[in-house]
Amino acid sequence: MKSLYLAFQVYLAFTMKSFQKRMQYRVANLAGLTTNFFFLLVQIFVYTAFYAVYTGPLPLNLHEIITYFVLCQAFFMLMPFWGTRSEVTSAIKSGDVVLQLTKPVDFQAYWFADECGRAYYYLFMRGLPTFLISILFLDVAIPQQPAVLMAFAVSMTLSIFMSAVITITISSSAFWTLDTTGIVGMSYSIITLFSGMLVPIALWPEWLAHIARWLPFEGLIDVPFSIYLGKITGIDVWVAIGKQVAWNLFFLGFGRFLLTRGFSRLIIQGG
Amino acid sequence: MIEVDNLSKTFKVYHHRKGFFGSFVNLFSRKHRTVQAVDTVSFTVERGEIVGYLGPNGAGKSTTIKMLTGILVPSSGSVTVNGYVPHRQRKESAKHIGVVFGQRSHLWFDLPVQESFELLQRIYRIPQAQYRQNVEIFDELLNLGDFFQTPVRQLSLGQRMRADIAAALLHNPDVLFLDEPTIGLDVVAKARIREFIQRINAERQVTVVLTTHDLDDVEKLCKRVILIDNARLRFDGELTTLRRLLSTERLLSVDYAEIYPDVSIPNAHIVYQEGARVQYRFSPEEISAADLIGAILKKFKILDISIQEPDIEDLIKTVYEDNLMLERKLAEPISPDTQAN
Repeated sequence: MKSLYLAFQVYLAFTMKSFQKRMQYRVANLAGLTTNFFFLLVQIFVYTAFYAVYTGPLPLNLHEIITYFVLCQAFFMLMPFWGTRSEVTSAIKSGDVVLQLTKPVDFQAYWFADECGRAYYYLFMRGLPTFLISILFLDVAIPQQPAVLMAFAVSMTLSIFMSAVITITISSSAFWTLDTTGIVGMSYSIITLFSGMLVPIALWPEWLAHIARWLPFEGLIDVPFSIYLGKITGIDVWVAIGKQVAWNLFFLGFGRFLLTRGFSRLIIQGG
Repeated sequence: MIEVDNLSKTFKVYHHRKGFFGSFVNLFSRKHRTVQAVDTVSFTVERGEIVGYLGPNGAGKSTTIKMLTGILVPSSGSVTVNGYVPHRQRKESAKHIGVVFGQRSHLWFDLPVQESFELLQRIYRIPQAQYRQNVEIFDELLNLGDFFQTPVRQLSLGQRMRADIAAALLHNPDVLFLDEPTIGLDVVAKARIREFIQRINAERQVTVVLTTHDLDDVEKLCKRVILIDNARLRFDGELTTLRRLLSTERLLSVDYAEIYPDVSIPNAHIVYQEGARVQYRFSPEEISAADLIGAILKKFKILDISIQEPDIEDLIKTVYEDNLMLERKLAEPISPDTQAN
């Protein structure tokens, strides 16, 4: 038990270093925040115009749509392959990964900790400011029941973990292809669409929404945000969170399998 | 301490077709060839030894080190370090070894040195007393204090190297692997690092495996050297033995006043010839430097002349080229008069 606690401390330290490292780039963060609001305004204008002309029934009203995109702008940097690359991803490409492998740490856990540091940095430095400023100037819905907020917090944490395990799983392809630009680019497009980052899945045509429900990526954006908006309630919240947990475990296992296979055929870049 | 038995590593290297059209063909069919990076290498290293693991670029040095540290999985053969099989028990093995790659840093690039050290303290679970004592000693020997609070990315190469070596020793490893630790450093920095390695080796009985291209490193630090070339072991023994076998060879560079069609001199081998500049290799046992220069002066007009000691790359080349001869020499008992030489 003590050993587990000590190990946890090590990986927590990795997470904190990964966070701390990014704190040094203040101007970049400020520029990023500005960009957040620029895109947020574009999205709000588009949907306001759409809602002004469309009179049919819609699953989300304008107030909810704006809230959805405020959350999107607050959280999208936490998603796989957004923002700066984590240290490990660049280390595989440059070959510096050898140094991590000479240390007595579990590589996947180390990478996970590193990705979490990245995510929490964007949560606190980009997400929170974006959200707080938006509350002041925009019509943002805030859940009244503490239970909803609790469920959202749990779901969002699972989303952050899943973002990390997805990144690790997909980036492990670097052990085979050496250059991940292609596969990362493809995954990035698929994830951006099927997470509901561009258009909430509730607004999708039935057949496409059906596909999205069978994919893991809705657990990144659409599921936690729908919980926040009160669109998923009661027992369905537990089902949604259960699915997130299951997908997390799937990527954890699959990523581990790929990494183990990857190491056995590892070729180090640059000798 | 380290046992390597018939260790081999092969890599698949994909052949890329050239040009625009070729890149499309690459999409559908890829040819590969197998490259033997390390070929049936065997050696053992005892506790407290400093061994120079030498060879030209691409000889397989780094690949061997990576198998010894558990990063690469051998294609065949066996390795044990401290009783662990590094690639199977990577984490366990890693607790007892320290690794420095001269061209890479295992410190956190954006963090001050001190914070990297504290992180390492956690990773290796170094007791506070040991950590403090080590930092104190390393500071005294390497003057870490000057840049202990500086982010790693702002360090000079010499400072970074010192920090890296200290970092690799914080957890009191039994074996230290140094892959080109003095690459790119100035004379003072090199001397300091060598002195440090020597002291750590003497005081803590740390086994050191060192790869380098710097002959001074080898001379100052290693009693024993292992040479590999083209993936195979070429020599394993005392540095003095190697010197006796090889360092008799000298190089003589001559700038002739004009280009002569035939510049061959008996008992001297032409290493290269470029216009009026010629380089000879000769062995003082066959012809003395004075006689050689005399013979040249008798035949040709010269502008400039100089004698060089062969550097380590040349030594290794000689081992490779004259492999059979070297093995024969080693097999012969050393007679008292050659020893006097």
